[in-house]
Amino acid sequence: MSSTDPDDLHPTLIARLRAELNRVRPPYGEPRYLTAAAPLRAWRLAPLALAIAFTGIVALTAYAATGSPNPAVWTNRVETVINSTQPSPTPEQEPPESQTVGAPPALAPSHRPTAPPTEQAEPPASPEHESPQPEDHSGTTSGARTSSPTPDH
Amino acid sequence: MGEGYQPGSREDFDRLYRVAYPRVYRTLTALLSDPAAAEDCAQDAFVQAYHAWSRWRPNAPAEAWVHRIAVNRAISYRRSARLRTVGEVLMRLGRPAAAADPAEQATQPDLLTALRALPPKLAAAIVLRHYHGYNNREIATALGVSERTVGTRLRKASERLRRALESPFSLDAPTAFQAGKRDSYVKH
Repeated sequence: MSSTDPDDLHPTLIARLRAELNRVRPPYGEPRYLTAAAPLRAWRLAPLALAIAFTGIVALTAYAATGSPNPAVWTNRVETVINSTQPSPTPEQEPPESQTVGAPPALAPSHRPTAPPTEQAEPPASPEHESPQPEDHSGTTSGARTSSPTPDH
Repeated sequence: MGEGYQPGSREDFDRLYRVAYPRVYRTLTALLSDPAAAEDCAQDAFVQAYHAWSRWRPNAPAEAWVHRIAVNRAISYRRSARLRTVGEVLMRLGRPAAAADPAEQATQPDLLTALRALPPKLAAAIVLRHYHGYNNREIATALGVSERTVGTRLRKASERLRRALESPFSLDAPTAFQAGKRDSYVKH
């Protein structure tokens, strides 16, 4: 580091400048860049810390839900929950058969509402008219009545 | 100056700090009157240099590179300090200003005071050349200017410094010079 230009300052002044600056004692504390670098390292570890925390929360939740610390139990529980929530195709195909026996009206929007009342009204009418005749004449139409008198007598 | 430094190497930066911190601090002492401010700016400069250490190119001397950051810090500090001073002057309009401490004035080296009165870029050129022994190329790297600009600044800084020290109305008359020696220096 040699000076290439001729000095404009007087040598005495240069010597004085050196003497005065040499007299300055720099404060030797802890370098600030060492402490300024610490947050950077912490930020680098932040994703790892987040992953560990997330795994811990998931494990605690699974333990609380299943009551078992075994991860195999957690997976079984998850499988059963998923299977139970899957919709089965059979209930949507069966309604046409059950509607003839008096199904709720919500399941039979495609059928005519007039047809079921006519079919249901006729069958009860015929037994009511036919049953009194055998009871009046013989009295042996029901099984309970025929079996009970014989042991008593 | 700065030979053997590897960009991004932590050990090399520690070594650079040990070598360059006292020199950078002394440069800032010549630019800033407050020693605490000089320490703050020097430390901040090394923090900034540490974060940019992996991007440093070995074709420029490492110490000159840190000097460049530190001088820029000092310029920013002086600018904000000047704004603070203007604010204080406006606040105390009509009231007498606080008198300077005579003991501090007596112990204050006049040459450093004259240097601090110069624009920081000129004062930095003087210190880098005549205290640290940088050549024009290294000063150009440290100040981020061309070598021709460095020559101009050195000439201008020397003239202004000499004029400030020659002034018969200067309150900070040199105490280290005897009268005869001072007269002979003035004739130069």
